[in-house]
Order: sequence, then C-alpha cells, then structure tokens
Amino acid sequence: MSALTFTLKQPTDQRIDMSPLVCQKLQGLDVDAIAAIELQNGKSRRRVDELFYITGMNTQEIIIAYSNNKLDFIGKELDGGSISVQGDAGAYLGMQMKSGTINVSGDAGLYAGCEMKNGLLQIEGDAGDFLGGALPGNKQGMKGGTVLVKGNVGQRAGDHMRRGQILIEGNAGDYCGSRMLAGTIAVMGNTGRYLGYAMRRGTLLLWNQPQLSATFNDCGSHTLAFLPILFASFKSFNSRFADSGAAFNRVQRYGGDMAETGRGEVLVRI
Amino acid sequence: MLIKLTGGTVYDPASGIDGQQQDIFVQDGRIIDAPKDGRPVDREYDLRGKVVMSGAIDMHTHIGGGKGNIARTLLPEDHRMDPVQRTPITRSGNGHAMPSTYVAGYRYAEMGYTACFEPAVLPINARQAHMEMGDTPIVDKGGYVMLGSDDFLLRMMTANKDQKAINDYVAWTLNAAKGIGIKVVNAGGINAFKFNQRKLDLDEQNSHYAVTPRQILQTLARAVQELGITHPLHVHGCNLGVPGNLETTLNTIQGIDGLPMHLTHIQFHSYGKEGDFKFSSGAAQIAEAINQNKNITADVGQILFGQTVTASGDNMRQHANHRFASPNKWVCMDIECDAGCGVVPFKYKDQNFVNALQWAIGLEIFLLVEDPWRIFLTTDHPNGAPFTSYPHLIRLLMDRSFRNDMLATIHPEAQKMTTLASIEREYTLNEIAIMTRAGAARIIGLKDRGALSAGNWADITVYTENADRQTMFTKPDYVFKDGELVVKDGQVVKVTWGTTHIVKPDYDLSIEKDLKPYFDKYLTMKLGNFKISDDEISEDGRGSLTAHPLRGAA
Repeated sequence: MSALTFTLKQPTDQRIDMSPLVCQKLQGLDVDAIAAIELQNGKSRRRVDELFYITGMNTQEIIIAYSNNKLDFIGKELDGGSISVQGDAGAYLGMQMKSGTINVSGDAGLYAGCEMKNGLLQIEGDAGDFLGGALPGNKQGMKGGTVLVKGNVGQRAGDHMRRGQILIEGNAGDYCGSRMLAGTIAVMGNTGRYLGYAMRRGTLLLWNQPQLSATFNDCGSHTLAFLPILFASFKSFNSRFADSGAAFNRVQRYGGDMAETGRGEVLVRI
Repeated sequence: MLIKLTGGTVYDPASGIDGQQQDIFVQDGRIIDAPKDGRPVDREYDLRGKVVMSGAIDMHTHIGGGKGNIARTLLPEDHRMDPVQRTPITRSGNGHAMPSTYVAGYRYAEMGYTACFEPAVLPINARQAHMEMGDTPIVDKGGYVMLGSDDFLLRMMTANKDQKAINDYVAWTLNAAKGIGIKVVNAGGINAFKFNQRKLDLDEQNSHYAVTPRQILQTLARAVQELGITHPLHVHGCNLGVPGNLETTLNTIQGIDGLPMHLTHIQFHSYGKEGDFKFSSGAAQIAEAINQNKNITADVGQILFGQTVTASGDNMRQHANHRFASPNKWVCMDIECDAGCGVVPFKYKDQNFVNALQWAIGLEIFLLVEDPWRIFLTTDHPNGAPFTSYPHLIRLLMDRSFRNDMLATIHPEAQKMTTLASIEREYTLNEIAIMTRAGAARIIGLKDRGALSAGNWADITVYTENADRQTMFTKPDYVFKDGELVVKDGQVVKVTWGTTHIVKPDYDLSIEKDLKPYFDKYLTMKLGNFKISDDEISEDGRGSLTAHPLRGAA
C-alpha cells in the first residue's frame, strides 16, 4: 500500500491548521472521507481536496509534499505512524506528539516539538524558537522522545523541558535550555547568550565552550562513564551524533543555574 | 412598543408574589400595569408553564479591575482551553475562570443575570475597573470601592481625626471612584503586609500606624451609616482561610456594635480547628450568629470542585497560601503604592480533605441561615468557582438527594466532619429568587431593579420548569434587559449595554485641601486625574450612570 500523500496545490496566503491530518485520526477513512475533512485556513474553512492533491492509501504513512512554512500543527498529538514533510513546516510541528516519527526535509517554524511526549522528530534544516518548549503559560515543555535538528535552532530551545533529548548538529540561539527542569540538550555547534538561564536540573552537552552566566560554577574536569553509553544510544540515528568520531567522555563540568536550585549541569568537551 | 408576557408563573418576592400565574406588561423598558385603554399589544410571549423572575443580580463577582488582567496574563492556558468565536452580533473572546470582558457579559446574560457588582474597586485603579466593566455587555454593573488599607485613611485614624473628616474622605472617594458601596479587605492587613507583618488579627495593631482592624471596621461602618449609603460596609474579614478563624468572624460580628455589615465570602471565614486534621466546620456557629444579629448579611463564596483562580486584594492571605498554587505560579504585588493584590491559581479537589470540607461548609451556611433576605448566592467568582457554575450550585441547594449523592463522593474524612447529610432543607424557587434578585437589589440599594411590579425596569428572566434545577437555570428561554429581548434559548440574540450603578453621598469639599498635597507627595497620579468624570463612563456612547438615592432620601 503506497503512502497517503497530500501534495499542496499552491501556496496559500493564510496559514493552514494541519492538526486533523494525523495518522490516528485518518485511520479507517477512505479517500473521499479524507478529502471532505475541513481545515482551518486563515478565517475560512476549506476542504482538504481544495488545498491538496490526495494520492495513496496508507494512512499510517503520510507524506506532505510541496509543504511550506504556512502549514502549522503538522503531526499534532501524533500517536503512531509516520509523517514525512517534503519542504518546510510551519509552527507547532509535532506538538504534544505521543509516538511515531516525523521527518521534515526543510526548516521548521516556532515551537517545533512543543510539549512532545514521545517519538522521534527529525528536522533536516533549521528550527525556530522554543524548540521542544512549553506553550506560553504552561510549566512543562517537552516530556520525552527525541528531537534531532541537523541545522541551527532559534532561541529558547528546550524552554521548560522536562525529559527527553534534543540533539542539535548546528548552532543554538540565546537562552538555550532556559528554565529547564530535566532532560538533555546536546549542541555540536555554538551556543548563544544566557545558556541554561534559570535551569533547575538537566544536562547541556556542548562541543564548544559557551559564554556562561555568573550563576554557573566551574566544577572541574571529569571523565564521565555515562557519556559513552549515551553516545551508544545515538547509534541508530541518521546523524553525525551516530558517528563514532563524535563520542567523547572527558568534559569540563559547570553547575547551575545557581539563581535557581542549581542542580543542572553544562558539560563541555575538552 | 407594548410587550405582553402572558401567563407565566411569577416569582417576585419584592412584591410578595410566590409562584402566581399572571401577565406582565412592558413598555419603554419598564414594567407597567395592565393598560386599561385597550391599546394593541405589539409583541406577546406565551409563557404558560414557564417560570418568570426578574433578572438575577450577582452582588459579588470579580469582573473588573487590575487583578483580573493579572490573572488573565498569568493563565493563558485557562483561556486557550475555552476559546469563544465571534458571531454576527457577539465578539470573540475566551472563557473559563477569568473570562474576557465581553464573554463575561454574554455568559452572565445567557444564565439570566442582568446585573453584576465588582466588589474590589481600588480607588486608584477604579478607572481600569470601570473600563473593563464598560466592555462587559448587556449586564448592569457597579463596584464597591475598597478602603481600609489605604495610607490616607490610616494616617487620619492615627492622627485621631474626627468621624466627620473620615466621612468626608469616604464620600469623596466614593464619588471620585464612582462606586455604590464601600468594601474593606482584610482591614489594614494589606498595608501591614508592606510593614512585614504576615498576619493581622482583629485586635492586632498595624506595626506602623498602630491601628487595629476592629477600629478600621468600626470607623468605616459608621461612615457608611452616617453618609446614608444603602449598601452596608462590605467586609472581607481578617484571617481568610485560616483554621480557627471562626472566632475572628464571631468577634467581628460582635465588634461592629450593631451597625449594618455585610460579610462577604463567609465560607472562607467559618473554619474551626477541631478533629484529626485540625480543620473543622464552623458553619453552625456562624449561621447562628447571622440568625441572631439582624444587622449582619453575608454572601457565601461557595467553592465548587475544579480549576479556578483566586484573585484578591488580600495580598497577606494570598501570600500565605501561595504554596497551594496549582498550577504552580502566582503573583502578589503592590498596586500604585496604595493597595495590593494577590493572584493564586487553585484547583479545588473533591478528594482533598480541606477542599471537600470547604465545599460542605459553604453549603451548611446556605442551609442553616434561616433568612434568605440576608444570605446571597455567590462563589466569589472566580475565587470559589467561576460564575458559570451557579446553576450547579442552585441544584445543590434545591435538591437534597442530589446534594447527598455529591456528598457521598467527597473525601471520606470530610464527610464525617460535616452535618450536611442531616440537613433536610431544600431551597424553594421563591427563596432562590430572594437570594439572587429581590434580596440582592435591596442590599445593594438598587431602586427600580430586582422586582417585577409596575415602575421597575424590565429586567426579566424566563425559565422552563424542570425538576433538574441545574438544567433549568443554565439555559433560560428568554432574558429581557430593560425591556429588550437579549437572550433566547440560552443564546444572546441582541447585545445591549447596561448602566453603571452609583451613589453620590455629600461631602465637604475642603477635604481636597488635605488630599491634594498628599497626592502630590505620595501617589502615582494627581488628584485631578484620580477623579473619574461622568463623561468617562458615557463618552463611548454606550455607558451610562445611574445614581441611587441614599437611605432616608428616597
């Protein structure tokens, strides 16, 4: 059975709410029923077949072709199955997803992986601000699963993050790991200002020396036995994180943010 | 236009009508006697089999003022879960615990309410409160102006100024802030909090001003009495939520020396400290005290289970309770160097012993206070529960078996600590009409509202009789506001704008001689800007002011 493919007919002026088009909601629906689903498009509601050409049958394997950054809420609350986005994704990609995989060939907008619970979210390009963060006002961001970004990410990556891991091959913007409760963020490139701002617990694993606030204390250099185990867990990813050359076990350790409970750590490769 | 409401079963306690079938005629916004000249009726509604009451009045609900916006800012998730779309006649907004102003107005009207009173208008923030109420459609509104923790009053009391001077200050503030009553919140406590006091008993001195809450209450209650303001001093007592505060409340009742006093959200002030958990119901003693002291009125501030947010001027008590915040975030702040506020989100849980007993205590008070003219139906919206839960509360009061079914589901230890199961009383429709209409209008001092006799404004709510009182009160068939049909089948069909109710007691203008230098030196705005002009209420073309007579002047 071929993948269920939504090919965007033409770019829209207004944003499209894609949250109805997730595997578990489409399961058991025939093409006519899927075509008749109405999507919010700006102020109006439009049928799926007005906006997309629909081909294929397999609702557990969805492809969104010619996608662009106006397509919001792709894979919202996804619970099993896979969604492959060919092109860019809008805001709230994979928001609150529970399981399954999402792959984006281009860039993702704001709040990708926001409050995600489990599964794998892979972005080949860049991601916007609040990657794996919490919705405004909420106290917990990403709670599990893996977010893998091959490009750069915006500000506030992992804001209020609670559990899970965010792997970034490129650079991270300012306030990376802000208000983090727990979990792991690994950044191969550079990080911006205010790294780990008000983080309580959790780990920031860095390849390059960051600019740290005064509320982080140098705890000396360490050889950490858990790091090889952590790197071994990355082996299955299609990523530079899986390269055997990427692994290390010797780090400089900084504790903070002392302006909070201060049980977080920043580990920098040496 | 002459409107005839035909054959409804009318409950109009203000006129002593308890469930009689009769016709009501409305012309030019007011109820009139049956016309004798044979004029044709322009519009007739057949209300046979329906229950007709005047529009309900919420005498204590936080719908305006700075703390509402703080709560909205603090809890975007609460709004996110309840989005309200625009329709051709209504505007979009958000609902739940602290709804947007427009949605608050629509939802009140859709429940049959036609007037709401904001009980904590900080004088220095009154403009904000009036603007929010000005954006609250359909319902009438008004506010109680908050005094008692303001430095100017405390300075006057420390300086032993005579009652006349204080009366002038109270009347001046009431005129400047455009209120209909005077409210005291934790008398002097908000101020004492700023001098690092974390509790203040009725006879404990403010460490800076050496004034006690009892003195403040007596002084202000006397001012309200001497100025002839109909609404008694509206008192949020000391020690809110503290186990054992029952004694404080009883002392407050005794200490007011027979002056009229309204004790608000009294449920939060009726706690004993007996039992294994050192927390027990004081409802019986409080109800007894209310029954004995005819000068006392109260609204309950019932809690109902679920997520809400507590927003109060009482920063002292809110700060003490901040660790119970759920979700875990809260705000306590000073307001313009002259008042304070605390906003703490709360989730009341039926399986939490304290919450469950609070629920039972509120209901006990409702059922044990004998005179429905002196007890009012409130949840202290949003502090005990959002106002949208009123129909559920009415069912709890009117339906004993439903009440006992609910009681059986709460925390078992709380069930053992309450006498609720043994209370047989069920409220009648007439008593509900007293509590939510006639009594409320009387206690606030509203002329021409809360009654269905000729001459009153035609605020009328029509329900379909239903044994399930929650369903009945959730969705009225018709709601008329000033004679216009605004809600049909529980949906807004026309958006009108209610008036703002105020009183204008006289005062000696020379008070401004003392106030002006005080404003210049200490406050964030000048005296001239502090005073709200009539135009500010009405210049948008939809607001208006209605001044009510003082006692003895009617």
